[in-house]
Amino acid sequence: MLLIAARKPQSIPPQKAEADVEQIFHEIRQILRVSGIDPLFQRWASYPRFFSALWEAMTPNAQTRAFEEAADRLRAEAVAAASGMDRLSALAKAGLGESQAYQVQRVLMLYHYANPKLLLFVSTVAQALQGQEPRRAEGASAAELIERGVPPRMFPMEMIEERPSEDVPRKIFRDIKRSLGLSSIPCDYRSLGLWPGYLAAGWERLKPAIKSQAYRKAVGDLAELSSGLARELPYPVVMPIDDLGEREDMGAVVELTEYFETVLPALVLNIALFSLDWQAAEILKRSPFPARPRHRPNGH
Amino acid sequence: MHWRQYQATQKVTEVGETFISYAERGAGAPLVLLHGMPTWGFLWNGLIPALERHRRMLIPDLPGFGYSDKSDRFPRSLSRQAEMLDAWLQSLGIERADFIGHDIGGGVALRLAAFDPARVGRLALLDTVCYDSWPTEFMARFGHPGTDRRLSAAAALKSLRAALRPGFSTLEEGLINGLLAPYTTETGKLSLIRDASGMDSSLTMELVPALPRINIPTLIVWGEQDPFASLRYGRRLAADLPKARLRVMSGARHFVHIDKPEEVALELENFLRSQ
Repeated sequence: MLLIAARKPQSIPPQKAEADVEQIFHEIRQILRVSGIDPLFQRWASYPRFFSALWEAMTPNAQTRAFEEAADRLRAEAVAAASGMDRLSALAKAGLGESQAYQVQRVLMLYHYANPKLLLFVSTVAQALQGQEPRRAEGASAAELIERGVPPRMFPMEMIEERPSEDVPRKIFRDIKRSLGLSSIPCDYRSLGLWPGYLAAGWERLKPAIKSQAYRKAVGDLAELSSGLARELPYPVVMPIDDLGEREDMGAVVELTEYFETVLPALVLNIALFSLDWQAAEILKRSPFPARPRHRPNGH
Repeated sequence: MHWRQYQATQKVTEVGETFISYAERGAGAPLVLLHGMPTWGFLWNGLIPALERHRRMLIPDLPGFGYSDKSDRFPRSLSRQAEMLDAWLQSLGIERADFIGHDIGGGVALRLAAFDPARVGRLALLDTVCYDSWPTEFMARFGHPGTDRRLSAAAALKSLRAALRPGFSTLEEGLINGLLAPYTTETGKLSLIRDASGMDSSLTMELVPALPRINIPTLIVWGEQDPFASLRYGRRLAADLPKARLRVMSGARHFVHIDKPEEVALELENFLRSQ
């Protein structure tokens, strides 16, 4: 008798998510205030027991002012570093129409907001997986809760396929994977792939830039800053790692988390570089979607 | 023109918290062209050369369609589309325009003519939704909440392509690729599902008592062999609208101006220039 082993999915996209995972995806959108589910979460979701424990452990921090401000600081540091580098000037070369330019800018705003939060999230999870506990953040506002929900003007996280049928993005994606040693194409490149001429113009300038010492130093600094900020979040992140280890391949989870921890600082910096074609550094250092305090009826 | 070249010509206007992408060509009195489901402004690409000589053509992608806002934060009903279109015209400083509408675009134009008659000068309706002619069985199924889970973007695209094909008497692959280009992503697919789930014939049925009061010059063009909306609906609409004239295009199907480009362009030119 021939037995065919069911292969574990490597990723759970939102349209395939069910039950608990679907609910967590919904909460991610609401609490992290993002319009889509990053592939990072989709990959973690393929370990459902871990994913559920992870989200439960991370929620107390993820909804605080302290988390938001730490991500704001990462964003500002990325912009400061990027503004000392050569401009990509992709906008001038891409020849975008008015509506296309408007949409590209909105996409950049989405990732300029989301990527620093993801980096901080991953740094925090990585530390929790290593058994490290955060120091409690000081100050009355640290544990203040921020509003929930996707900001009204945030662009949807729309992206093309990782293996697109069009020649231009397919070749760029292949080059990106090879040049950066990536196992998959990050979603910001896939979103910018909606405008292949713009992505091509940006990648042509970004590719040599990533080899520069200034770029590498900036990426390293961002990773270090993120780790430091993760240690200062208000709440301890505790996951039952021993229990989970009996049910999930925790070695694979750690490997996956480390992969994203390595990749994300560069993505934060790249979006800052792309965005500097559009807006001044001083504007970009501020959050594109500032969060108000959460409304709590009767002060509760 | 390839759809990407057309897309590069689109302008953009914010309407509240949504945005509308649109093409603008020519100069003169404003003429608004409204596409149907599941297409976008590119639908009118072939008609532009004939009409831009005398008119300022404004060709929006309706919210939720094409390269306008595809987020999940606004309703997609025909009535809401008409309201957003009205706000868009206001933002452009246009008080009155002539309208050409195809499919649900015709339904939006009909609602404007019924509820905001000062906005509408002349009205040309091409195989429009009306009465209870819509949604088609395919679109009713497509708008089912389970569709997102059942169909990947690629599978949905394949399904849409097959469903649309009978709507053309002849069809170039490049054209259908262009018409469906905005819906090749998961976000595009999801937006179209929301559009489909917002399709509600009660919003055209409630127009029925108002039709005899839409006292503006109206040209109704219908493909004789439209498989999605029978010519019977076109005849009924022509009878109910007091100043309507029906022109039936023999051999044409739902996408009548693509099946009979020269004939339809000539009809429209004559209609729009007549006093």
